[in-house]
Amino acid sequence: MTRITLGGAVLRGTVATALMASLMSGSALGAPVDLSKWSPEYVRSIAGTQDFDTAADCGKVTPLDYKGRLTFWYQGVFEGDPDLLRQYYKDFFETFRKTYPNIQLEDQALTYNDLLDKFRTALLGNAAPMAVRLQILGGTEFAAKGYLQPLKPEDVGYPTEDFWPGAMKAVTWDGVTYGIPTNNETMAFIWNADIFKRAGLDPDKAPATWDDVVKYSKQIHDKLGIAGYGLVARKNAGNTPYRFMPQLWAYGGGVFDEATASPTYKDVELNSPQSKAALQASYDMYVRDKSVPVSALTNQQADNQPLFVAGQLGMMVSHPSDYNVMLDLQKKATGADKEKAQTVIDNMRYGLIPTGPDGKRAVVFGGSNIHILKPEYVEGGKVDEPAAKAIICMWTSPEWSLKMAYAGSNPGNLNGFKTKWMKERLDSIKFLDVTTSMLPYGIPFPALPQSPEIMNIIVPDMLQNALTGAMTVDQAADDAAEKVKNLMDGL
Amino acid sequence: MTIVTGKTEARRRLQPGSSGLLRNIWKHRADYAYVLPAIAVMLIVIAYPIYYTVELSFFKTPPGLQLRDKSFIGLDNYTAILTSQVFWKVTLNTLIWTIASTFVAFVLGFAAALALHREFIGRGVLRAILIIPWVISAVAASYIWKWIYHSDFGIIGAVLVGLGLADRPPNFIDNVSTVLPSLIVVNIWREFPFAMIMMMAGLQTVPDQLLRAAEVDGANAWQRFWHVTFPHLRNVSTVTILLLAVANFNSFIIPWIMTGGGPSNASHIWITHIYELAFGRQRWGVASAYSVLLFLMLMVLGYFYVRALAGNERKEGGA
Repeated sequence: MTRITLGGAVLRGTVATALMASLMSGSALGAPVDLSKWSPEYVRSIAGTQDFDTAADCGKVTPLDYKGRLTFWYQGVFEGDPDLLRQYYKDFFETFRKTYPNIQLEDQALTYNDLLDKFRTALLGNAAPMAVRLQILGGTEFAAKGYLQPLKPEDVGYPTEDFWPGAMKAVTWDGVTYGIPTNNETMAFIWNADIFKRAGLDPDKAPATWDDVVKYSKQIHDKLGIAGYGLVARKNAGNTPYRFMPQLWAYGGGVFDEATASPTYKDVELNSPQSKAALQASYDMYVRDKSVPVSALTNQQADNQPLFVAGQLGMMVSHPSDYNVMLDLQKKATGADKEKAQTVIDNMRYGLIPTGPDGKRAVVFGGSNIHILKPEYVEGGKVDEPAAKAIICMWTSPEWSLKMAYAGSNPGNLNGFKTKWMKERLDSIKFLDVTTSMLPYGIPFPALPQSPEIMNIIVPDMLQNALTGAMTVDQAADDAAEKVKNLMDGL
Repeated sequence: MTIVTGKTEARRRLQPGSSGLLRNIWKHRADYAYVLPAIAVMLIVIAYPIYYTVELSFFKTPPGLQLRDKSFIGLDNYTAILTSQVFWKVTLNTLIWTIASTFVAFVLGFAAALALHREFIGRGVLRAILIIPWVISAVAASYIWKWIYHSDFGIIGAVLVGLGLADRPPNFIDNVSTVLPSLIVVNIWREFPFAMIMMMAGLQTVPDQLLRAAEVDGANAWQRFWHVTFPHLRNVSTVTILLLAVANFNSFIIPWIMTGGGPSNASHIWITHIYELAFGRQRWGVASAYSVLLFLMLMVLGYFYVRALAGNERKEGGA
């Protein structure tokens, strides 16, 4: 399989100081993992250089013989995740129960799309769990509303400098830290080299710009009669903003100024000419060229995966774990389908996400955070803090923050990059270099309590309004901007 | 001579003086004690949520604040709802959804009941097959239909393209014009067995001797149906239609799972819209006001349902 040459692009990415500034603080330079040197080579050089004893470290936070009870909800694995990840989740909870045999753990896994709804409802009835692991968007919302207890990495034995500064922003509200990042990731661009070749495109070269994605998608569709790009525009599904926002930012747009080095979130930019250009690109693919799946409006990325492995989709934006998902799907296939799936896997390529017309490259800086609730919102009115800190210490440890993000993400605790499992992972998880190379281009969602509604409802609504023809591109962008303004005004 | 009818006696019982009422309650204390647990449970799980929803509908609940930080705004939520374009769009969708689903499910169910009322080989098997859509989980049915309708590689699309009847798979649920009718078809498929069972039960009550007498008098099949069978089914038909209408007003699973109210809100009906307002956008006050309006509409339907049931009882009592 041909390896992707990333040198130049990665170099540019690493020195993209404006974007880095949004993720890094001055103190990061003195951190154990030097983010200013970030590159695939640097990541390889530190992998496997340090050993960690998780049980001993967490034993200092909560004694290993501590007796208590903990209710814990978390965003768990879902249908789009590989089996490998399922195993690590199983291992984590088994290990926790062995390490802390006297803590009665009542854990509940929920999918990305269900967790927020259920958690909000539980909070209204003061029936929340003691600790919760939320999507990165959720931290600010619940901290701003006063549901969460202050919680910083030092409370579970780790320095704040061991976590991505951009991720720490997502758990900080009004200058107070309310949670700890468990994992952080950026996605990459995936394509099928065989489809590219048959469509007359360079099989080893990803589209350089989003305008190229539009062209390539049309060319693939016109020549082969299959979908070019795996557009996703479902509402209330995290997949949609994770795929559309990089496009929006690359064109120079945004919901606010979140793509700048020091965002203020004052002015709504969703109806700027740049934002409209990004929306127009999606419109061109869906309506004008009909080169993307028609089902994009009701589907999510998990629906693109079978299309891709069946050789019916040329390009998509996703995690490195999609390679493992393809392997899992291939195992389940039979006869000619199995062979076809193998061809797709052999021709699967990862590259950097395309740039906008001005060379701007962007990706969502995603991930999850872990939090402790205030007792008054918890069922029974009590929080067993030592028990909560025990599980948080374990999950955010270098070992487990790496293992729980093994195939699809990266450790929230930067020391995870130094573990032997990171070394093993670099050898076993294909294309990991590419997604870690995208990290410096990562832009966090606006650190505002209104972000979940903006990203999960208003932005997908804008896409759907434009793509269905219910509104023109201009009208859809103006309508979305108006909704964001009203939301920010508390209407 | 004074004749005391049942009606007069009932009126006398219902309008006693306060001491008479208390005496009456005391007299029937054992009966009240039996129903007390049920009433207590209903007060907790039904009456209090209704009260709280009504109360909340008069408050502004900004999404960035906790619910306890709500502020009283009187009827503003109701005004905002009734003057919003979305309300009328969602209401129109709800009416189309409810009327079309109820009417077609009833007609199909009635037709199936009439067909299955006759003796023929395989009747039992056919009856069992036709009940399947009603007994399988709505969630499972929604996912199955989502794949049947899939705009890129759904079964219907594949068959049509395979037979050369279409160039590309039809767009059922990713299109603002076709999504609601497509969901209504699924809803009818799921509900018509209920109407069928109700009408089959009703058909059992039609006296054979009347039908035979009509036949002897020279009435043809249509006349026997129209003048004998149908009048006997009027009350069960009313009850079935009302139950279907109430269920359809309250439908959530099929539209939510299949489209989430989309695309572009084209398949939002009241319940899905209320759910999104409350749990997706945390506008608890507005969502409560919507719920109160829906509750009032359902109360009207409920009134007719109770009247229809009472009508049945009166008829049975008089027969």
